[in-house]
Amino acid sequence: MAPPVLLLAALVAYPLIYNIGLSLRNYRTGEFVGLHNFARAFQDPLLFASLRATTIYVTSALVLEIALGLSLALLVHRTIRSGWARTLIYLLFIIPMVTPPVSAGVIARLIYTPTYGVLNAGLRAVGLIGEDILWLSRADTAMFAVVSVDVWQWMPFVFLVCFAGFQAVPQDAVEAALVDGAGGWHLFRHIEFPYLSSLLLLVLIFRFTDTFRVFDHVLVLTGGGPGATTEFLSVYLYRIAFKFFNLGYAAAVSLFVLAVSSLAFAILGRYLGREVAE
Amino acid sequence: MRNSWIAWLVIAVLLATSGAFAAPGLPAKPARLTMAVVAGGETKGLKAILPMWEKEKGVKVTLVEFPYPTLYEKLVTAFQANAATFDLLIADDPWMPKFGSEGWLVPLDSTFGYKRESDIFSVVYDLGSWPPPRGPVPPGEKAKARHLYAITLVGNVEFFMYRKDLVSAPKTWADVVRNAKKVYDPKKPIYGFVIRGAKGNPVISEFTPLLLSYGGRIFDDNWKVVLNSKQSVDALTFFAKTLKQYAPRGVENYDAAERAREVATGRAAQGFIWPAEITDIVENPAVSKVVGKMGYTLAPAGPGGRHTPLMGNWLLAIPKGSKNQRWAYEFILWATSAKVQRPYALGGGIPFRKSVLMNSEMNKKFPFFRAMADSLQAPAQWRPRTQEWFAVEAILGTHVNAALAGLETPQDAIAKAAREIEQHMKEAGYYR
Repeated sequence: MAPPVLLLAALVAYPLIYNIGLSLRNYRTGEFVGLHNFARAFQDPLLFASLRATTIYVTSALVLEIALGLSLALLVHRTIRSGWARTLIYLLFIIPMVTPPVSAGVIARLIYTPTYGVLNAGLRAVGLIGEDILWLSRADTAMFAVVSVDVWQWMPFVFLVCFAGFQAVPQDAVEAALVDGAGGWHLFRHIEFPYLSSLLLLVLIFRFTDTFRVFDHVLVLTGGGPGATTEFLSVYLYRIAFKFFNLGYAAAVSLFVLAVSSLAFAILGRYLGREVAE
Repeated sequence: MRNSWIAWLVIAVLLATSGAFAAPGLPAKPARLTMAVVAGGETKGLKAILPMWEKEKGVKVTLVEFPYPTLYEKLVTAFQANAATFDLLIADDPWMPKFGSEGWLVPLDSTFGYKRESDIFSVVYDLGSWPPPRGPVPPGEKAKARHLYAITLVGNVEFFMYRKDLVSAPKTWADVVRNAKKVYDPKKPIYGFVIRGAKGNPVISEFTPLLLSYGGRIFDDNWKVVLNSKQSVDALTFFAKTLKQYAPRGVENYDAAERAREVATGRAAQGFIWPAEITDIVENPAVSKVVGKMGYTLAPAGPGGRHTPLMGNWLLAIPKGSKNQRWAYEFILWATSAKVQRPYALGGGIPFRKSVLMNSEMNKKFPFFRAMADSLQAPAQWRPRTQEWFAVEAILGTHVNAALAGLETPQDAIAKAAREIEQHMKEAGYYR
C-alpha cells in the first residue's frame, strides 16, 4: 500500500478502531459489555442536557457569526474603497482568529467578571446599569458570554470569506443591474448572494464542526457552569473521561458525537455539492 | 611487602572515609534524585531547603514541575509503565486511594522500618496509609495489610479566617452569621462572608467541611450513598441561602484567587482559607490591605458542636520504579525531620509538625500556625478514600454550584447529586 494510505490508516483508522473497542468494554475490568455504554448514553439525562445546551450554543453562534460576518463584509465592500483601509481591516480581523482559545477565555473572564470586569465598569460609567450584572452566574447571561467569545473570535473568518466572495462577483453583472435601476437590497439578493451561497455553505460546514466541538474557552470562562448550563457535549465528555475516568462510556459518547457531526456534514455537504454543480 | 600492605590499608581507610561512599546502610550516592512536584506555592518551602540537602548530603535533587492535573496524569503514566522516571513525588492526598490500591508506591514502614513520631499528628500518618485506618474502604482493599506509603510535606489544612478588628473569632456557624450581619454593608462595600463557589473542586472544598459539621455524609462505611439526608439539605440550604446573602455578588464563579482577593482588599470579613493563600495573598504586604488584621481559627462547628476542617496535605512518596529508593527515603526522612521543618517554614513552606506549629516564636511570625495545629488535632477530615472521588466531586460540585446559583433548590440539588453518585458508584463496581 502507498505510504500516505498507511499513514492515514495509522493516524485515523487505528484510533477509531481502538475507540470502538473501548466503547464495548467495562473500562475497569476490561470485560466485554456489548452495547451497554451506548444504552446508558440513551438513558443519560446529563447527556441530553449537554446536547440541548450544545444546540443552543451552535445555533446562536452560527446565526450571529454569519449574519454579522456577511453584513460587515457587505458594508466594507460597498463603502470602503481605499486599499490601505481594507488592509487595516483585514489585519484587525485576523487578530481574534490567531488568539489561542484559552487566551480568549481568559480575556473574556476579565471582561465579564462582575466586580472588576471591564464590561460592568463601562456599563456603570455610562449609567446603563446601577448594579453589576452577574454575567457568569446566571444561565442566560453565561450562555451569552460563551457565545460572544466564539462570535468575537470567528466572525472575522466569516467576514474574510464573504468579503473574498464579493470580490469574485463579476462587475459587468453588477453594473448591468445598477443600470436597470436595482437598489442595494435587490443587488445583493439577486446578483451578489447567488455567488456567495456556496461559500456560505462551506463556512457553515466549517463553523458547525468547530462550534459543535467547542471546549477551550468554555472551560476557562465558566467551567461548564453555572450548574450544567454551559456544559456542552465536549465539556461533558471531558468530565466523563478525565474526572470519572469512565473511558468506556467516554468512548461511546465520543462515537455518538462523531455520528452527529458526520450526519450534519453529510446533509450540508449534499447541499454544497448541489450548489457547486449549479 | 610490608610497606605495600600498609599502603593498601591507608588507601582503604581513605576510600572508606571519603564522600565516594555513603554512610553505613546507604548505597553509593546517585548522580541526582528526580522529583515530580506540582507547580505553584506548594513547593516554595521545598525549593528553599534543597540547597541545605545538597550541601549536607552531596546529592542533587532535580524538581520536575507540572500543573496540578498534568502532574497526576504524568505520575499515572509513569507508574503504569513502572518507569524509573521519578525517584520521589509529592501527591495530593485524594490521589492516595488510586496510588495505594494500585500498589505503585514503596511502603515506608515495611521496606525501611519507618517509625512514627509523637511530634507528628496521627491524622497525618493516617492520610499516608493504605488501606485507610477509618471510614469506608474500597471493595477489594479491606483484606490488604495496612502500610505507610507517604508522609506529609505540605501540611495543607483548610481553616477559617476573620477580620479580628471587626468581629470576634466565630466558634460556630451561628457565630459566623452573627458576625456577617454585623459588618455587612454592600454600599461600602463590605461583605460578611466570601464563598469560593465555582463549580467542581472549588465549591466542594468550601462545602465539605460545612456538610460534615452539620452531620451530613456522602457515604456510609459500606459505600452506600447517604447524602440525601435532612442534615445535607440543611447544610446546603445554609450554604446557598443564609451565607450567600452576606456574600459578594457573583460568588458562583469564584475560585481561590477571587476569595483571597476579596479578603485582601478589605471587602470580605470572613471565609475559609488554605495556608498558601495566606502567605501569598492575604498577609502579603505587597498586595494586601489587611496585613495584621486577620485572625485565624478552626472551621466553625455545626449544630452538633463538631468542628470538621478539611485536609489537603501534599505527601512525599517513593514510586516502585525508582532505582534510588533508599536515597529517596533518606530525603523523605530529612525533609520531614524536626530540624528541617523550621527553615522549611521560614522559606515559605507549610509545616505539619506540632513542635513548629505550636512554637510561640513561629506563631508570632505566622499567626495562622495555631489554627493549623488545632485543625490537624480536631482531627481534620479527609475526602472519602476512593478512586472515584474526582467523579463524586464533579457530580456534587455541579449540583452545589447550581443550588448556589439558584438554578436548583437545595433539596433537588442534594437528591440529584445522590442519585448520580449512586449510579456512578454502581458502574464503578462498588455495589454487587
